[in-house]
Amino acid sequence: MAPEETKDDTWIPTSCYMCFSSCGTLAHRVDGVIVKIEGQPDCPHNWGKLCPKGHAAIMNLYDPYRVKKPLKRTNPEKGLGVDPKWVEISWGEALDTAAQRLKKIREDDPRKLILASWDVVVLHGLGRAWASAFGTPNSHWSGYFCGNALHPTMYLTNGSFHSEADLEYCNYLILFGNQMGFMGGINPNIMAQKMADARMRGMKVVVVDPVGTNAAAKADEWLPIRPGTDAALSLAMVNLLLNEYHLYDAAFVQKRTNGPYLVGPQGRYLREAGTGKPLIWDIATKRALPFDAPIEAPALEGEYDVDGVLARPAFQCLREHVRKYNPEMAAEITTLPVETIRRLAQEYGEAARIGATIVIQGRELPYRPAAANQYRGAYAHRHGFLTALSIQLLNLLIGNPYVPGGHRGVNLVGPNLSWMPQETDGLIVPPNTIGHGANPYNIHVAPPQTTELTELMPQAYNKSSMNQMTVLDPEAFKLPYRPEAMLHCRTNIMMSRVNPEISAQTLKNIPFIISFARELNEVAEFADIVFPDTDNLERLDLLPNQTYLAMSPITGYWYWGLRQPVVPPAGEARDWTEVLLELAERIGFLDELYEVLNITLHLSPPHRLDPTQKYSPEEINDHWAKSMFGEEHGLEWFRQAGYLKEKRQVEEIYPGPLLKPRFPIYFEQLISAGEQVRTVTEELGLPWDTSDYQPIPDWKPCPAYEERGSERDLYAVNYKVPFHYQSFTSENPWLNELSEQHPYAYKIMINTETAKRKGIQDGELIAVESAAGRAQGRAKVTECIHPEVVAMAGVLGSWARGKPIARGKGPHFNSLLSLDKERVDWVSAAVDACVRVKVYRIEE
Amino acid sequence: MARKGMVIDLKRCIGCNACTIACKAENATPPQVFWARVLEGEVGKYPSARRVFLPVLCNHCKNAPCLEVCPTGATHQREDGVILVDYDKCIGCRACMAACPYEARYFWENGRGYFPEGLTPFEEVGYRKFQRKVVQKCTLCAHRVDNGLEPACVATCPTNCRVFGDLDDPTSPVSRLISERRGFQLRAELGTDPSVYYVQ
Repeated sequence: MAPEETKDDTWIPTSCYMCFSSCGTLAHRVDGVIVKIEGQPDCPHNWGKLCPKGHAAIMNLYDPYRVKKPLKRTNPEKGLGVDPKWVEISWGEALDTAAQRLKKIREDDPRKLILASWDVVVLHGLGRAWASAFGTPNSHWSGYFCGNALHPTMYLTNGSFHSEADLEYCNYLILFGNQMGFMGGINPNIMAQKMADARMRGMKVVVVDPVGTNAAAKADEWLPIRPGTDAALSLAMVNLLLNEYHLYDAAFVQKRTNGPYLVGPQGRYLREAGTGKPLIWDIATKRALPFDAPIEAPALEGEYDVDGVLARPAFQCLREHVRKYNPEMAAEITTLPVETIRRLAQEYGEAARIGATIVIQGRELPYRPAAANQYRGAYAHRHGFLTALSIQLLNLLIGNPYVPGGHRGVNLVGPNLSWMPQETDGLIVPPNTIGHGANPYNIHVAPPQTTELTELMPQAYNKSSMNQMTVLDPEAFKLPYRPEAMLHCRTNIMMSRVNPEISAQTLKNIPFIISFARELNEVAEFADIVFPDTDNLERLDLLPNQTYLAMSPITGYWYWGLRQPVVPPAGEARDWTEVLLELAERIGFLDELYEVLNITLHLSPPHRLDPTQKYSPEEINDHWAKSMFGEEHGLEWFRQAGYLKEKRQVEEIYPGPLLKPRFPIYFEQLISAGEQVRTVTEELGLPWDTSDYQPIPDWKPCPAYEERGSERDLYAVNYKVPFHYQSFTSENPWLNELSEQHPYAYKIMINTETAKRKGIQDGELIAVESAAGRAQGRAKVTECIHPEVVAMAGVLGSWARGKPIARGKGPHFNSLLSLDKERVDWVSAAVDACVRVKVYRIEE
Repeated sequence: MARKGMVIDLKRCIGCNACTIACKAENATPPQVFWARVLEGEVGKYPSARRVFLPVLCNHCKNAPCLEVCPTGATHQREDGVILVDYDKCIGCRACMAACPYEARYFWENGRGYFPEGLTPFEEVGYRKFQRKVVQKCTLCAHRVDNGLEPACVATCPTNCRVFGDLDDPTSPVSRLISERRGFQLRAELGTDPSVYYVQ
């Protein structure tokens, strides 16, 4: 549409998609051109605030390097740097080619198709339903960057997908390898505001991170820890709290955790005959009673003879187990001073104000204003699952889950308590609404059927990392088929996976790749067909803020909104949801897709989709909206109003005292999970490490730690800057320009003393070499990094010709990583993201 | 007459650069032009070191050196203290750039945009208000302020580290912040009397 034809001047409510969080935005359109994007003041997700990425979205929309027509590869040879020799084709031809190929696969073995995407909104709406109707379970392949070890450990310990501290009331916050409140994670803008407010009122922030990040810059205390050793610190703190300072919430542990569950000699619960209920020792009656019996005095300590079997309460086991983590040992492992570790534990335990209560809106609630929050920096290592559990113990033992000032997951209870956690053995299990069926106690290990090896990872949630290994060598993993096709959209599995050479081999193993692409990125270079994808400002997504994923209680509201097209798609670009629907029709399973959507979107009459009809994406969203919110709240209502919102009640923010299930501090199910995995993998003849399936976590050295003493004398890690997200934002010219002028963003951080030792001056070109690969960039000689570490931001260093702004900008951290069984966390599927490197100056 | 000014709370600022890019989005400034920026430095020695952030913009000084040196009157000060450049009067001599102690002024030399392929529709519209080979700088979002809005950098700041208001009114939030938390100006010793204050 030519600008002069429009004659409009409109502010349109929509949602950002420069990160998964999806802040509410207003796009100002004048005569068909978007002239400004700003935060939507009326949207609880961000209350009018917007980060740099969100503002910069305009420059992605109008990027002249966008793909605007379907393309076909004419060069059959695929490889890094190999020109695909694209030829423009019509949508008709592109869809015909794709549909024919996919139809054959569907008839043969639909599992041979992989849907690779990190488009979280579409995945949980149409994407997975499409894959499911097609017949493939392989509907998630992103990078390894996500909360691999976070999500399963939070599902296990707090019943939700996420992790956050209550900034409203917290007084003492330890951030392990994360920057919550410093423009990262969910509701980043509001978290930043609440964090600033909390710091102003005196909340102490301790940042545990080898890198002097933005969070570390503002922390009261920055503790530069050696990478991969966070569990040693947290377990030493647990030891001090339990065994020396006696700073833990004994009443909470008794009544609200499995601390009193009796553990027998094999580490298993003692269970009541018949019911199978775990037993608790009642000190008052000197009897073992089922956990849900009214027990006056549950024993937390001691050893008891239960019908001839000696058993100890789980808490006692934990307490004894952590004794070996003395602060001296932790100091040696972490490089943090002994007195700091001691003081940290004591300050944290005292700040928790165990036993205190607070009255909020007339309700008296437990008040535990101390919390430990974590994200990728802490657990993106081998043994990361155990690390995440170790840190979670710091929350559970002070009784802070879901109470003012403490730690919580996101939306464990629904609006008006419409959903609540479930339970197994009296322990918390995620509600289906936010848990997607995750139940850590429901363990069924079986030979692999999925490229993610879901069947062999009974505790993991995002197993995306495994795809690369299985696609490289399906037989080695006993996968009963070889993947034949991939649909790739809104992820970049070349840049966000390990090592481009290995990634290239992986992609070459997939005979037919369709890439939905906004620009010809690193994966599109390996595609057979490229479909031009829409920009965020051209697409329609109902409910971009999903309750399980991106809606912190911190805003004080529930809210439901949409992302809507502000301008028509550029060129011949089409939204991938629309294309998926058309492919389903051409392949011949549109009716089945509608049936699946009726179930997954919970569509109720009269809003169910009729398999004999045909619906546009708008119509499907309209059905969904009306089914969920009533006849008057159809798609059009959302288009006009932007957001439907509802204030949260106190108990929806602090449900702690309302919750019936207990929280686990002893993870008995891991024993069974490990046994099952061992049995199945042994039967398959598949070498598999099950040693991390243990009921009480330990710190174990990651491969980089064990490699100390080699010529690779430093660790390399990556970290987050507030103005980049994943691998696509460096193609944004504003964010690129900012990064080029920024003292750290595109540089490699190296400690002053270390640089001096190696003869490296600030700004010099340096090489960073691991056993697997190499990265290079300009040195930023700084005091703000651990002397044993070099650090690079995010996912930079693009190489695709279709991304000329981003190309060659910054070092590509992932090039340093290798993919082998030594560098995977076998419980959570996290890839180890720290590596030993040699660093030297490059002569220019 | 109210004197418009700003207080930036350095304790709240997290160096996210939302202001930098919000300014780009609001004012469509060309490449290499940053009316709002965040300077970064480091203080201390490892392990007691930390990065420090200093958001900067035109200080709209009461005694503005740029105003004094402008030979054509292109640089002018409104009654509310906002300093603007009249592009029609600017001859591009850049005396103001040399005079400004805060490096807040920019010269758009070539008229080019962010992509070598030519201007995007956003840039076509956004750059219309500018002229090549003249000096430009932060307007304190006069076009917003005159319509009762806050400057874009203030409105978007996720940590609310910027407060905008009337420096002449002792009861205004900006004046109160300055007096309660001992607000200071950058390079106050020069006597420029900036309208942008900082608190720590």
